[in-house]
Amino acid sequence: MLYIIEDSINGILMGSIYGLTAMGLTIIFGVLKVVNFAHGSMLMVGMYLAYWTVTLSGIHPYLAIVLVAPAMFFFGYYLQNIVIKPIFIAEKNVREPLTVIIVTTGIWYILDNMTLLIFGPQYRSLSDNPLSGQMLEIGQMFISVPKLYGCITALITALGIYWFFQKTDMGRAIRATSMDREAASLMGINQYKIYNVAFGIGAATAGIAAVTLVPFYNIFPTVGVLFDIKGFIIVVLGGLGSIGGALVGGIIIGLIESVGPQFMTATWTEAIVYGLFLVVLFVKPSGLFGQKHDW
Amino acid sequence: MHILRTLAIPALAMSLLAGSYATGHAENVKIGNIIPLSGPSATLGQQGKAAREMAVEEINAAGGIQSLGGAKFELVFADSESKPEKGVAEAERLINTEKVHVLTGCWNSAVTYPTTAVAERYGIPFVVPVSVSDKITEQGFKTVFRIAAKDSWWTRDQFSFLKDMEAEFGTKVERIAFVYENGDWGKGFAGQWKDLAEKGGYKVVLDEPYPSTATDLSPVVQKIRRSKADVLMLVSNAADAILLTNTLADYKVNLKAIIASGGGHADPSFLKTTGKNAQYLFDIVEWETDVNKPGAKETNDKYKAKYGQNLTGEAVDAYVAMYVLKDALERAASLEPEKIREALAATNLSSGPGMIVGYDAVKFDKTGQNENASLVMVQVNDVGNGLERVTIWPKSARRAGYTPVFPMPNK
Repeated sequence: MLYIIEDSINGILMGSIYGLTAMGLTIIFGVLKVVNFAHGSMLMVGMYLAYWTVTLSGIHPYLAIVLVAPAMFFFGYYLQNIVIKPIFIAEKNVREPLTVIIVTTGIWYILDNMTLLIFGPQYRSLSDNPLSGQMLEIGQMFISVPKLYGCITALITALGIYWFFQKTDMGRAIRATSMDREAASLMGINQYKIYNVAFGIGAATAGIAAVTLVPFYNIFPTVGVLFDIKGFIIVVLGGLGSIGGALVGGIIIGLIESVGPQFMTATWTEAIVYGLFLVVLFVKPSGLFGQKHDW
Repeated sequence: MHILRTLAIPALAMSLLAGSYATGHAENVKIGNIIPLSGPSATLGQQGKAAREMAVEEINAAGGIQSLGGAKFELVFADSESKPEKGVAEAERLINTEKVHVLTGCWNSAVTYPTTAVAERYGIPFVVPVSVSDKITEQGFKTVFRIAAKDSWWTRDQFSFLKDMEAEFGTKVERIAFVYENGDWGKGFAGQWKDLAEKGGYKVVLDEPYPSTATDLSPVVQKIRRSKADVLMLVSNAADAILLTNTLADYKVNLKAIIASGGGHADPSFLKTTGKNAQYLFDIVEWETDVNKPGAKETNDKYKAKYGQNLTGEAVDAYVAMYVLKDALERAASLEPEKIREALAATNLSSGPGMIVGYDAVKFDKTGQNENASLVMVQVNDVGNGLERVTIWPKSARRAGYTPVFPMPNK
């Protein structure tokens, strides 16, 4: 029993971090209606940014958010503005332009390979940071402190984004565009600017997720791919476009991964996660919290 | 390529002529080497080429083969590109056109396997410095001689090492946990471990494959912790090796020993990213720069000065192969393939330059496998210069003045 509680706590903590890594993906999809295949790479860029910020300045890893989140926002904003927007304009009559997906795949390859060229294939980690190896020991139970921080950060980020979408003019404009981009345009909303902002917010959340991972995870050029696949499953599970759904989807996967190995080998839990993904696609394609009709 | 080759032939002829004048009238010993000089394994092929060239330079400078009137070694390289069909074609060419006396190669087991068959057909001795697949020496061939340990000996040596450690430090090990990546490599090792554990009388308390792409390994670490294992044996790729090592330390898992299988644990960034968490870890390798053998350090220094990197296990095997050939030719006193083959089969080389391997002697069994070949175990520890890999096993190769830490201190 104690084992189940201990594993569930780890699952929830790690799961909410997974949710955070997928949150940007779901935001970008909700607004642009395209799957951003470069999301894992943006996470990777955020991790390198956080790693170098902390290594060069020696600050607490979480303070890196102050630099990484805005930097990633502008990175995403201009990536969309310069690289992706021209394709949207060229295909403005298509609701879900396939070419954009191809472009984001291209960005994924370019970012990963550029990182490989600049930093080499080495694995890096922040081994001497105040969070590494920190554990809360409650009797026989171990709770990882960096993961706890990550979980809290995920919740705050989700609430913050929710508030922003509900209460600010820009948030309303983003929601309007995601519901019906033509109608929003007729109301005087510049949809391309909204895309830029949405992409920026997506990249910024990837940056925040990167900061939560850096204290306990390795940094290497293809690290994004590992979280990318998980991110797609989480987003489909939670419902494309739903922020809360991403968090819940992440926690479900975290729980399966963490509690499952008590009853089977770790290889099987992965199979169960993919199986669940297929079941959701069959039974409820819109996911747990997705809207059936989004236009 | 073709232009290069047409240029190379007259150049080769010239050097041949020059060579035969320089050495009086002794005929050179032509050694054909089929190794991957381009393609996916090119870096390993280049290491093998460099090591062979360095050994041959030394042998020729020392007067060549005395029993053949000071005959010099002459290396002929052929690029296999890691392709089996290329290896076979090059073997035919080297034997028929180049008239080599001996062949060596091919690093990739998939290339060595069919290529040794060509050599067997022509009766040309084939020295395999390193290609680990077991089946290479299990074809019933007379002309194949392998210097490196074969695949199945890695796990054998991990268990021999464990037994030796138990005896040396008087600590009993009963419960063993196997944790491995769920690919061919990990599963292959785990299958052999199970047999060895049974034979050794150990109790396997955990047998856990995991996906190398896992983003969180704390569930696996929890299982290790709860299994109360004495010894943990691992097969890991790089990212998961780092994650496992750090997570094991985070959860303060107490083990008597962690025995890894190279791969991720031997990755150059492993020690940098794990730091103190990797201390006392045992790992198995083909060779380590600090093996306590006469000449090992000097040879490594020379190699490093020449080629800018440390000797690797592959390079050492190639280097030793040249000295094994020198020893055999010295005894054969003939360039006839059958005479060379007989001399190779009777090899018992235990000292002299070139013997910088971790074990004591090169001696081939009936199948042509070097029966003494063993791997080297290292321990990660800090002996005053930061964390490094210290050779500890076989005991004869142990770094002077170092006492292994076994069992690991509790956390």
